[in-house]
Amino acid sequence: MTDLTAGLAIALTALVTLLTRAAGPALVARIPITRRFERFLDGLSISVIAALVASGLARGGWREGAAVALAAVVVLGTRSSVLAMLAGMATAALWTYLSAG
Amino acid sequence: MAQSDPPSPATAASPYTFTFAGILRGMRRTLVVAVFITPFGIAYGVAATEQGMSATQAILMSAVVFAGAAQFATLDLWQAPVAFVSLALLVLAVNARMVIMGAALAAWLNRISLGRRLLTLGFLTDVNFADMLPVYRRGERDLGLLLGSGVVLWFPWVGGTALGALTGQSLGSPEVFGFDVVMISFFGAIVVSQTRRASIATVASAAVASVLFGQYVAGGWNILLAALVGGCVHLAGRHD
Repeated sequence: MTDLTAGLAIALTALVTLLTRAAGPALVARIPITRRFERFLDGLSISVIAALVASGLARGGWREGAAVALAAVVVLGTRSSVLAMLAGMATAALWTYLSAG
Repeated sequence: MAQSDPPSPATAASPYTFTFAGILRGMRRTLVVAVFITPFGIAYGVAATEQGMSATQAILMSAVVFAGAAQFATLDLWQAPVAFVSLALLVLAVNARMVIMGAALAAWLNRISLGRRLLTLGFLTDVNFADMLPVYRRGERDLGLLLGSGVVLWFPWVGGTALGALTGQSLGSPEVFGFDVVMISFFGAIVVSQTRRASIATVASAAVASVLFGQYVAGGWNILLAALVGGCVHLAGRHD
């Protein structure tokens, strides 16, 4: 691949990515914000994170499920999502260690 | 609300700011997560060079695109001649969820100048979106936090890419250290801590929809569709 082609491909990837990042606020600016619309956006925001987790869990197995379950317990106990993340990592690492025998 | 504010409906609440102190506070918030971005950056650098990208191209890609899922996805198309239309559609699909994230943050982002807004949006990722949304919902008004919490993730992503692309050495199997579950654990924890009784149906419907749609539509669109389903369920479930 020539440098020019590669440069164009990188520029195109960057441009489309920037457009998706900028599109949300630009769209919302054109819609009158009612309480119903605010509530819809509220639902969207938690849903997009939930959808990322669920589709990741669907691709994974029991190990990923155990990691997220422990992360959930830790965040409810400590209110810290960073501690929860570390607990999830430790769970998955331990799972791999034990199943490797 | 400050008593001296001129009576303007647009600025009914306290003012929205964009301060350097806010940027630093945002950087501190995602600093620990940023450490664990490095192995993902290394993995991308290694995969990109194995696919035929030069180290310079891989580093440039990470620096200007800064979107891991999209960058990994485009590696499949990295061959001459480049199918530019397919490339654009693939990036659009994988990043479709960013439209939702931007829309969810619009109430805050649209209060700052266009230049600052675009700069902040350039560093918007799943990580700082998930981390900062609860903070703004609690009443935070400084948009610098959102920028800072994204910028701090950029360095390990680009640095990791450089390390992987230049050395060609991966860290071995990421499963050994649990690096592969970093994101899903972090996001899972945020969903659990943010879900109230009134939004259980919202979260459940979005989760189910993402898995169901994932069987039929190409990667990325299922997240966007699932979020829309969740938004509608949330709207239908209003109790106020």
